[in-house]
Amino acid sequence: MTMSKDALDQLVERDQDHECAGFGEARICVRVAAVANLPTRAGTFHLVGFWNNRDAKDHVAMVCGDVVGMEDVPVRLHSECLTGDVMGSLRCDCQDQLQEGLKAIQRAGQGVLLYLRQEGRGIGLLNKIRAYALQEQGLDTVEANLALGFRDDERDYAVAAHMLHSLEIKSVRLITNNPEKIRQLTQHGVKVAGRIPHIIPPNDHNRFYLETKARRSGHQLDPIQLDRLPEQSDPVVFATTPDPLL
Amino acid sequence: MKRAEQAPVLVVGAGVAGLACSRALADAGKDVVVLERARGVGGRCATRRMEGQPVDFGVAFFHGHHAEFLSALDEVPSEQVPGWPFVVAGTGKPCQSEAFTPGERRLAYRDGVQAFPRHLSRGLQVHLQSKLAGLVLDGNHLRLTLEDGRQMEAQTVVLALAPEQISSQLESLAQHPQVASARAVLGLARSQACLVARALYPPAAPVPDWQILFPETSDLLQVISHDSTKRQAPARQALVFQAHAAWSRTHLEDPEWPDLILAEAAQLLGTWAAHPEVVEYHRWGLARSDRSAELAQPMLLELPGGSALGICGDRFAPGGGVEAAWLSGSRLAQRILSWEAR
Repeated sequence: MTMSKDALDQLVERDQDHECAGFGEARICVRVAAVANLPTRAGTFHLVGFWNNRDAKDHVAMVCGDVVGMEDVPVRLHSECLTGDVMGSLRCDCQDQLQEGLKAIQRAGQGVLLYLRQEGRGIGLLNKIRAYALQEQGLDTVEANLALGFRDDERDYAVAAHMLHSLEIKSVRLITNNPEKIRQLTQHGVKVAGRIPHIIPPNDHNRFYLETKARRSGHQLDPIQLDRLPEQSDPVVFATTPDPLL
Repeated sequence: MKRAEQAPVLVVGAGVAGLACSRALADAGKDVVVLERARGVGGRCATRRMEGQPVDFGVAFFHGHHAEFLSALDEVPSEQVPGWPFVVAGTGKPCQSEAFTPGERRLAYRDGVQAFPRHLSRGLQVHLQSKLAGLVLDGNHLRLTLEDGRQMEAQTVVLALAPEQISSQLESLAQHPQVASARAVLGLARSQACLVARALYPPAAPVPDWQILFPETSDLLQVISHDSTKRQAPARQALVFQAHAAWSRTHLEDPEWPDLILAEAAQLLGTWAAHPEVVEYHRWGLARSDRSAELAQPMLLELPGGSALGICGDRFAPGGGVEAAWLSGSRLAQRILSWEAR
């Protein structure tokens, strides 16, 4: 058994009856509840399951290498997107973002991907399907999308901050192109020591976006309106385009 | 023509969502006028006195976990019954299963759940028995016509009603694309009905050992609340029977429904339950939102000419129930304030 697996198992032991004041407006509190190895196409991870005191959504961390008690740990926040992550939807770029996040962590030899079970930015799969349907009817306004739940959810960051705290990670290097994510996590007490640009290489699977993005420049009303429903709050940066924050 | 009355913000609906919105706007120094069609405030946070004893016949108790909501509950100058219900029986489905998750605070008030909306409405200008009949955009303001012919104008109007009612009020503005989209979102959901009986029993009646029962075997009754356990030295045992949404919907127009509820009560609790000393009935046509239709946040629709229309209610915040209603109203107030400050 590896050292990091031992360290993670000890967290399960530690958290058996953990209860704190909670993080964020909703005072969410999580416990490290289950740990196992998970070999994936991107490489081998430890899968860490978290219980929480708010709902039945079991958030998970995919951990690579030793992270418990460490500083400058590469961390990627990914919000669940069934249509993108699993079904390979071309309405969003979630699958690319997820896979590239996992690869970046494997390349670094150490890191954590927090997989947050908050479909469609917090409000659920049903409303996401409804939002897609409204778009198809041509009824797409910002207010309707906001009501349906397509927005950054404060809870994302609160639960993510507690999960990082539970993993005893001292400071993180956030894999992101989104300065807002850094600000929000910092607000919840996470020490962000740096940022790793999240850059996606162009390939057959995402050529669709590259073409759409090129097509869309200069067009206000693209029928697909990919930029209207950013499931991950990160702007997409392809290897062929410069990182906007550099 | 009668001159229309002007108010900076008009809020339609004095349920918890509308009152939370009005409260936050008034606290920020806004002039707010609230319109309510009923004779009292609170909507589903409803308490009626039976033989002088308060009986809650909508929301049975409060539960929540958002710090701001909990402190709003704590501000109410009424004695709390912390932790009520203490004993929950039956394995039927609660209206909101979150109510019983760890970390959720539960409470009732000695003098009834209506203490909360009454406290929210303190100092507010609330026009009771004022039912909205029409809403039109007139230049840079919205003009409301009430059923009795009164007219009122405001630049900002908040509709804190059931989604069906909001949608029908917005029909006259449907040519605006943002209103059309909002109506499409409102149309995703249907409110659930709830038929209720509230009953006082004679002193000799058996006393159940639970405060809330969710019967597992009944297609008719969803919940029975042992209301008198919230009171200090109650004169009578009070039970409140609330029917399932599906059964309520199909029996709204059935004149037999009150008898059917009492017959089911007897089936579940014993024949004594069919013989209360005093019994009253209430039909909630638009009681609460269906959990599959919950939304993330309230809407603020900007209309041409610079007026705005706010929409809030228990479905416009995750989780449903009183907490969601309160959060949606408070969040809408914040959005209105920052929009107006722009």
